[in-house]
Amino acid sequence: MNIKKTWPLHVMVLPSLLLLILFSYVPMAGIVMAFQNFKPWLGFTHSEWVGLDNFHTLFARQDSMEVIWNTLIISALKIVLNLAAPFTFALLLNEVRKAFFKRFVQTLVYLPHFLSWVILGGILLDVLSTDGGFVNRILSSWFGISPIFFLGDNDWFRFTVILSDVWKDFGFGTIVFLAALSNVNPSLYEAAEVDGASRWKQTLHITIPSMLPIAVVVGTLALGNILNAGFDQIFNLYNPLVYQKGDIIDTFVYRTAILNGEMGLGTAIGLFKSVISMILIFISYRMAYKLANYRIF
Amino acid sequence: MKTYSKKAWTFVCSLMLVSTLFAGCSGSKGETTQTADTGAKPQAEAQVENAYKDKYDPPVTITTVWGVDPELKFKNGETIENNVATKWAKDTLGIDIQSLWSVTDTNNAFATKLRLAMSSGQQMPDVVTIGDAQLAQDLIDSGMFQDAGELFDKYASDTWKQAMEQDPNVWNPYIRDGKRMGIPVLDYAYNHDYLLWIRQDWLDKLGLSAPTTIDELEKVMDAFKNNNPDGLKPDEVIPLSIGFKTTMNTWMGDPSWVFGAYGTIPQQWNKGADGKLEYGSINPAMKQGLQKLSEWFSKGYIPKEAALWDENKTAEPAVAGKAGILPGPYWMSGWPLADTVKNVKSAVWKPIALPAGPDGKAGRHGTLFTNGVTLINKNMKHPEAVFTYQNYMFENLANSQPGGVFDNGLFKGYDYDMDASGKALRYEDIPGGYVNSLRYLLVRDGARIPDAQMKALLNLADGKEATTRLEKEVKLNYGLETPEAAKVLMGQEGIAYPNMYTGPTTSTMKTKMDYLNKIENQTFNEIIYGKQGLDSFDKFVETWKGSGGEQITNEVNDWYSKLSK
Repeated sequence: MNIKKTWPLHVMVLPSLLLLILFSYVPMAGIVMAFQNFKPWLGFTHSEWVGLDNFHTLFARQDSMEVIWNTLIISALKIVLNLAAPFTFALLLNEVRKAFFKRFVQTLVYLPHFLSWVILGGILLDVLSTDGGFVNRILSSWFGISPIFFLGDNDWFRFTVILSDVWKDFGFGTIVFLAALSNVNPSLYEAAEVDGASRWKQTLHITIPSMLPIAVVVGTLALGNILNAGFDQIFNLYNPLVYQKGDIIDTFVYRTAILNGEMGLGTAIGLFKSVISMILIFISYRMAYKLANYRIF
Repeated sequence: MKTYSKKAWTFVCSLMLVSTLFAGCSGSKGETTQTADTGAKPQAEAQVENAYKDKYDPPVTITTVWGVDPELKFKNGETIENNVATKWAKDTLGIDIQSLWSVTDTNNAFATKLRLAMSSGQQMPDVVTIGDAQLAQDLIDSGMFQDAGELFDKYASDTWKQAMEQDPNVWNPYIRDGKRMGIPVLDYAYNHDYLLWIRQDWLDKLGLSAPTTIDELEKVMDAFKNNNPDGLKPDEVIPLSIGFKTTMNTWMGDPSWVFGAYGTIPQQWNKGADGKLEYGSINPAMKQGLQKLSEWFSKGYIPKEAALWDENKTAEPAVAGKAGILPGPYWMSGWPLADTVKNVKSAVWKPIALPAGPDGKAGRHGTLFTNGVTLINKNMKHPEAVFTYQNYMFENLANSQPGGVFDNGLFKGYDYDMDASGKALRYEDIPGGYVNSLRYLLVRDGARIPDAQMKALLNLADGKEATTRLEKEVKLNYGLETPEAAKVLMGQEGIAYPNMYTGPTTSTMKTKMDYLNKIENQTFNEIIYGKQGLDSFDKFVETWKGSGGEQITNEVNDWYSKLSK
């Protein structure tokens, strides 16, 4: 390709490149705040330099390990299930022959994705209530199980959070996998049929292998979010009874940094999260290359 | 291939168009901030004498910034920059209100914008009123605002000064080195002081009288639950609707009076027996309150999911006709309780006094008489003009008498209107809709004398005709039971515990308070839910003190002792 032919394309990229630099790279200078006792009216240049004090504050809290651990467990399980559930569902849906039914189901499971957690928080509070909530009523009348306090019991809270998150978002993931499925070369199936492979064998040896690369991409991208356990969800669902198992880094940042206006501490925690996430992205990217021969660059 | 690339071109071009549109929008917003500077300066310099006047001629300029309440409406094509109130100020007082910028105040947009303006060195307004406590402290510490107390002593009218003296503590949060750096915005007192709302129809059908002690309250709750007059099954009734998702010290569905009956109010600083400030949550009396709540929980008197309920949720069963008692402010007979009759025709809510504990004590948290602070810029040319404006408001609006300027309201056709025979209309009947034009004024809500509303309500409760603006207003637009509730509230005036610490967040609070709150909420909730024994309260107090609580107490008392000097 020579530049004479392609220059309009470069010009077209320019505005978005500028916006990217302006809004994604320039603000990175704000990382300085993590090492300062930042006061908005003093700005970056005049705020007191405190070195690693903010990081010290973060780890000096008696519950900081608990909070980090909660974050890791919740988000790791979310990542795994948010990969496995849509993967399986897409496979099943792909076997459906009636196009109308397929589309209908696809839309139906996609819908919860558009609801905000503020709304779902209120809905879940009612649905999961021990006091005549829909789920507990079914559990007790069909299975004779005594009411479970899903949102207020340390043993159940993480389960509830993860399952409700998967329920909300697996429809979105399904669409990605269905798109991958439609790209599988039909001649592969024809050849398999000629060779006498059953539906199950075809799935095992054609469908799944051709979906793996996209699954690796989705998984790799998701790993960058390992320290984001979902602020909006937890914030709307948690309560003092489940702090022990439900308090995550983001809710903790919200309470200390935003409510108290402690920008320095908030930035420090954000930076800590970013560094960990970046390391994880590096690792997963290497692994994706080694295992699935997948690379973005 | 050719058609494809053509399509791609149009697509990309339209994308670019859209993005430039966005860029255009954000650009024009920034420009509006600049326009206000012009025009202000020549007038300011013409006025060499720095004297207080009732009307300025030529007019003087006050610059300000606005966080516009999203609920605030405008009519006749007006804006917050240019409306009936700014016109009035220019015509009547010769004060030209210039706005540097305004923003619709959702999600703290106003505080955020002001913070950004402060840190990026933009022009700060002459006068700004701030509700966000932390932002106010930050702005004061920025050193851009002047000693407002001195100006207040010099220029404020007697009516305003007397109103301010109703609670000298209102200055406390804004004192720096003995200087009063901001003028507290006075608000009606007791707005968040609460009492109990009870289903009087249930009491009547059961032949019970209103409970006055905790023991009597238990009997009433038991009857509501197990012998419900509306025929509800025991597990359908919530005798006492309270919630404590985020705090045990709140405004509706509040449980703090249970502790008040034993002599403390949690999650605030109370004056201890030794005159020092003490954190209410670590007072030994908490233990008895927690024990009571735990008992009520196991008997089903309070909601099973109280730990998950915030304030608005506690009102739901009350409005649905399934709750017997709901703690809350005196004004609740209008909202939310007025809706109950839509669900249960026979429902009657009545206000009753807070029940007393075994020693005859009762307690609730108090409300400060303020709602924010007004700051005056160090570089303001005519600070006395602020007082011209506010003195007029205190004289004519806050203290409006029959036949006065603002006898019926502020602006006709906005916040009040009359029918042909001169009778005041209800808000919903005002032609073109009711507009809370008091919010257009320089200082939020104009001017309020703390005890004025309560006095008006008490007069009405005693059966007097409504004559003043306030009396007419509350009679016309508040819930029917409001005067009665005000009377009940004032019958217990002495029991309120105000939060005595109103200073800035101390350094230890910044790093430790969140953790302390967390273990406090956790421990208290688990005790109430029976997951931990009552003994864990003692352990909590020890941890609280050891994890920074002791230090915070010292810092708080340092601040307090400096005040009383």
